[in-house]
Amino acid sequence: MNDYLVQLGRIAPEAVLTVLALVILTWDLVTKGRDCRRLAYGTLAGLGLVVWLLCGQWASLGETGAVSAFGMVTVDRFGTFFKLFTALALMVVVLLVLFDRRERKHGIGEYYFLLIGAAIGIFFMVSTNNLLLLMLGLELLSLASYSLAGFHKGSQRSAEASLKYIVFGGLSAGIMLYGISLLYGLTGTIDLSVMGRGGEGGYPVGLVAQFAVSPIPVAVAVVLVLAGFAYKASIVPFHFWTPDVYEGAPTPVTTFLAVASKAAGFAALLRFVGALFLVDGVQEAVHAYGARIGLLLAILSAVTMTLGNLSAMRQRSLKRLLAYSSIAHAGYVLMGLAVMTEAGFSASVFYLAAYYFMNLGAFAFLLYFEGETNSDEIDSLKGMGWRHPVVAWAMVAFLVSLAGLPPTVGFYGKLLLFYEGVDAGLGWLVFIAALNSVISLFYYFRVAKALFLTEPVERVPNRQPALTGLIVGLSVLTVVTGIFNSALQRWSGEAPRALGISDQLEEPH
Amino acid sequence: MNVPTEHLLALASILFALGVAGFLVRRNVIIVLASVELMLNAANLCFLAGSRAWAAEGAAGGHPIQGPVFALFVILVAAAEAAIGLALIIAIYRLKRTTALDATRDLEG
Repeated sequence: MNDYLVQLGRIAPEAVLTVLALVILTWDLVTKGRDCRRLAYGTLAGLGLVVWLLCGQWASLGETGAVSAFGMVTVDRFGTFFKLFTALALMVVVLLVLFDRRERKHGIGEYYFLLIGAAIGIFFMVSTNNLLLLMLGLELLSLASYSLAGFHKGSQRSAEASLKYIVFGGLSAGIMLYGISLLYGLTGTIDLSVMGRGGEGGYPVGLVAQFAVSPIPVAVAVVLVLAGFAYKASIVPFHFWTPDVYEGAPTPVTTFLAVASKAAGFAALLRFVGALFLVDGVQEAVHAYGARIGLLLAILSAVTMTLGNLSAMRQRSLKRLLAYSSIAHAGYVLMGLAVMTEAGFSASVFYLAAYYFMNLGAFAFLLYFEGETNSDEIDSLKGMGWRHPVVAWAMVAFLVSLAGLPPTVGFYGKLLLFYEGVDAGLGWLVFIAALNSVISLFYYFRVAKALFLTEPVERVPNRQPALTGLIVGLSVLTVVTGIFNSALQRWSGEAPRALGISDQLEEPH
Repeated sequence: MNVPTEHLLALASILFALGVAGFLVRRNVIIVLASVELMLNAANLCFLAGSRAWAAEGAAGGHPIQGPVFALFVILVAAAEAAIGLALIIAIYRLKRTTALDATRDLEG
């Protein structure tokens, strides 16, 4: 009994979130949707408690320490890092829902319930080595996201976004599950840590041993499972849904999908690749195989960033532009993965953390702008810089960070990625990424130009002071973490250490 | 009568291929979702075949039960996905009076 309680304590953040979701749903039912402002405050309070618990968990876990709960959940710093960022990002998203001028003020209790549900899915999927729990977490996130994307069910755009999301989501879930079933058939286990090395006495068979016998089925299975992660992280060729869903979904939901959901996909992908190909005792044996997976990821990374940036150039809607830019950023993050070392992984984690700040800010600005002009066209941005100088300058900070220029956190993240890329001998990929950064300058500064282009007009009184405060806060974070990056760099360096990746670097034969 | 594992795997891959083909070719949303179910069931068959094969190998101390349990959860997920998908199709049908994928074209570019 005591042991049970100890294990339950390890998943306290998840348990609190689950209780919170049920409380919010019941509260909404009892008050018949008349009390949505208080629901939001309740959600924020609950998330605050979760953040506090996660901070305690981070402190109590050692650098490489990992404890298991019920044999399914692996609690380590890697998972806690992403959970912490998810909870914080979700707080910002709840604030965005609260500040959304175009959203109804009543009868939207399910909004918060679904957001918390999606977060529970993320929490489980980033902290497990068990493919069953990983799949359930991913599906919980997906199912909540489908409903969220179609939250404005009377709007054709929202309904269409949701439909596209569920159709492509179903496809990738089917592909991923088929891959998992093949992996299970090949190795006899669904636990990633066992699957990598193999069990005692020859059963379950490690992927290494299986690879020697039947290389092609193993390759097929691994690539099929990668498809599921690629969908969540919107990596080519599973990116088709991204622009349509991001454009049609309500803006706070788009923010959630672009930031929390995407980072969760990457977190699960990092754990998957790390556990199967890079842990101690495996790396030697699957040396050539792991390098080939790295090459595949490098090619996907190059294609993803190029396609995202080239498509973003010809967008007229700011929301769609940010959608394509998020595809391009997925390509950058993938660069760190393609390196296939612990340092490369921590560069990816740092960039994901940077991506949280700058994209939350950019989407918060989008919400402000939609609230003012009721449009998301870049043309309607003209003169915003003179009418709303504070938020416009904050947006410039986000754009600078997204483009990867100093002194912002985006610059430092890219620097780390490029450094690791060159270090691992992926010079061609770094060259393509640098070229892409130049392309991206073009469209980010098109937005900045539109902001400050037209003649100065009179300043209008700020009608969204709370949202302005949030945007300014995020822009300060974007710049400050760029200049004083040592803390964030230390944390993102410590996070992947929990994956137990071998220190040996890949030596090309 | 004992069906060899290879036959089960071949059937699963045929089911999977049919699901992918249906997904790519058909334009009706309901059929597309049904194709996805076909793919999920291919995965289920694979799980069960794998579990049976490991049991036959005499995998002592192993857990061939993982496969059937996984398949049960896949069925559960498929049901949840179908519930949300069909609810959405009803919402779309109310707006557009059609369930063809091509008809939904507000978001392009």
